[in-house]
Amino acid sequence: MRLTEASVAIRPRSAWEAIDLGVLLARRHAGLLMASWALVTLPLFALLCALLWQYPGWAIFVFWWLKPAYERLPLYILSQALFGNTPSLKQALRALPKLLWPQLLASLTWRRLSPTRSFDLPVLQLEGLAGQARSQRLVVLGQRDSAAATWLTLVGMHLEVALWMGLVALFYLMLPQQVELDWTWESLIAASSGQWMWLEHLSNLLYVLLLIIWEPVYVACGFTLYLNRRTALEAWDIELTFRRLRQRLTGSAYALLLGCAVLLTQQPSNAWADTPPIVSEEAKQADPQGPDAPRLLQQPLTSQAARASIEALLDEPPFQHRETVTRWRLGEEKPAEEPKPEDVEAFLDMLKNLLKLGEWWKSLDVVAQVFEVLLWAALAALLVFVLWRYREWLQAFGDRIGLPTRRRQVAPQQLFGLELAPETLPDDVASEAERLWADQPRAALGLLYRALLSRLLHEHRLPLKQSHTEGEVLHLVAGLGQENLEDYSRQLTLHWQALAYGHRLPAESQRQGLCQGWRSLFGQERAA
Amino acid sequence: MHSRSRASLPLNQLPLDTRYQVETPEGIDLHLRPAGLVPRALAFAIDLVIRGLILMVMFIVLGLLGQFGMGLGTILLFLVTWWYMVLFEVFNQGRSPGKQMLGLRVVHDDGTPIGWAASLTRNLLRFVDILPFGYTLGIISCLNHPAFKRLGDIAAGTLVVYRDAPLSKPLLADAEPLPAPFPLSLDEQRAILGFAERGGQLSAARRAELAALLADPLQVPAEQAEPRLNGIARGLLGSAP
Repeated sequence: MRLTEASVAIRPRSAWEAIDLGVLLARRHAGLLMASWALVTLPLFALLCALLWQYPGWAIFVFWWLKPAYERLPLYILSQALFGNTPSLKQALRALPKLLWPQLLASLTWRRLSPTRSFDLPVLQLEGLAGQARSQRLVVLGQRDSAAATWLTLVGMHLEVALWMGLVALFYLMLPQQVELDWTWESLIAASSGQWMWLEHLSNLLYVLLLIIWEPVYVACGFTLYLNRRTALEAWDIELTFRRLRQRLTGSAYALLLGCAVLLTQQPSNAWADTPPIVSEEAKQADPQGPDAPRLLQQPLTSQAARASIEALLDEPPFQHRETVTRWRLGEEKPAEEPKPEDVEAFLDMLKNLLKLGEWWKSLDVVAQVFEVLLWAALAALLVFVLWRYREWLQAFGDRIGLPTRRRQVAPQQLFGLELAPETLPDDVASEAERLWADQPRAALGLLYRALLSRLLHEHRLPLKQSHTEGEVLHLVAGLGQENLEDYSRQLTLHWQALAYGHRLPAESQRQGLCQGWRSLFGQERAA
Repeated sequence: MHSRSRASLPLNQLPLDTRYQVETPEGIDLHLRPAGLVPRALAFAIDLVIRGLILMVMFIVLGLLGQFGMGLGTILLFLVTWWYMVLFEVFNQGRSPGKQMLGLRVVHDDGTPIGWAASLTRNLLRFVDILPFGYTLGIISCLNHPAFKRLGDIAAGTLVVYRDAPLSKPLLADAEPLPAPFPLSLDEQRAILGFAERGGQLSAARRAELAALLADPLQVPAEQAEPRLNGIARGLLGSAP
């Protein structure tokens, strides 16, 4: 047993942690442990089933009782694997017969129900003691950690039950719908009467299968508990460190001696040497005394190994920070070359081709122009579309951004209480006025004045407002620069004012004049 | 540093250990000790018994109140089933009563105290671990995970660890303090201190055997190696006030 080759970290642990270490140990060698366990137990179970087909309960009881016998194989594998020489499956199975016989009777009789079974097994199997010495050893080891070993066995029992029920539930869930099984309690009870024999053997098989998972863990936990107890009793961890310390100190003493010897042998030659010649850069790198030269070749850690491990360390995340950045950039400029004759010819050819291309391009001018027009049209259409699309926005906010907008004049519907809309006027205003003049002179004059204002508003586009007075209207009419219209307007306005405010009727002679004046001003226009 | 150099070794050469290292941003290695299936199963069993007792007592008391009592009892059943673990874990430093008795606590993967989200996740996902019956999935996951996590722990990013026991002052063998004759690494200092502290648990023959290992480098006869080592341990410890 060489502690320096142990594959587990040796230090005193609490009992629970020792059990946890066993779980890890079983996990590391899980494949081998489970395969060997299955290869031993499954054939045996098949044999027991065949022999005791009528008594499935007895078959599983015998199988269960023989558990300590199978447990020796995983322990053998683990004890070998602990110090690095893990056996192969074949080697392990071949070692089984030798492992079985010692202490088998004790294991299967009075030690069978011991709650610290897996904790005691290494003493029986690995230490090879006999009689008094063995029982003393068991007592010493059991002074501590036997409680944890007991709990381990107890938890293991419940675990087996839990896993068994889990597997049974899984099996039940996996039954297809087509298999109509009315499993009532009565039928399950009737199962023991022999009708459902295969079902009992099946549930036994599930137990055997779950042991493949759990038993190696159980044995490994007992083994690590044992190791932990011995670590505490014999201070294995201290021994391990002391051995390393001694190796380091004596090893370094040898290295010191060796170094002194090397120095002593080399000093004279150096003293007699000429001044060292100036060496080139390459020679310096190959210099056997240089910093890069392999040194310390006589010890496990050579300078090259150290350098390699340092570089590996510096390449790891905390030290090394690499980023891959991918970017587009212009291609490298090619260095200018001497023009060769072929190159010149090729260049001329290229020029010719370019000229040809130009000619061909000219023939495409029409096409190009069509496209140009199309593109400009598309741009214009786009602009129009944008303006149209945002017309409301422009109207709403055009003021604010200072766009000159034309304010539409809303023509007033009424002035001085008179309807001005052209539709309200009769077609022939003058005739209508003449007809009204006889009995309603007021309505006749009103009609004339109303028609005048309406014409001014709608035909001459005078910007009349409701606030304008008759005088202001005349003033605006004067601005139009039409003398006839101005005279007529003045005349009519005077008569209208006299009638409206002064209740003075115009003379009968005026009637003809006003109506004729209207006809001469507007009648012809209408006719034309 | 230590873990990094070990991590660069091939996996099968790595010595198996139950420690779980967390490196803080400040470069300090925290050693957590994840707890495995057996202590966790026992803690769960204790919690189960406590919950059963609470429910039994409350149902007997509330049974006297008739239907109203049964209503209260149903609410209580919900609380005890779903919130017992969560409330204890969040308000009692990750320890339910069972875990407290076994010296366990629940922490996040990085060693920080567990919060609401993680605790709720890991306890609600018990339903997955229970499948198909009797925690089958949880048991298999716990046995197969290097840090002994069940599925709920994996989902919530939590870890059940052993609490660190308060340190007690060790008793060293009586000796005159001596300086170490050669430089010692931290591990070696610890081993020499451990030799002096654990001397009482070792047999005299074993102590002599261990000390004899270092007789050569100490340049003393094998019989004097043990007192010399005890003296160096005293010297390493310094004079106690």
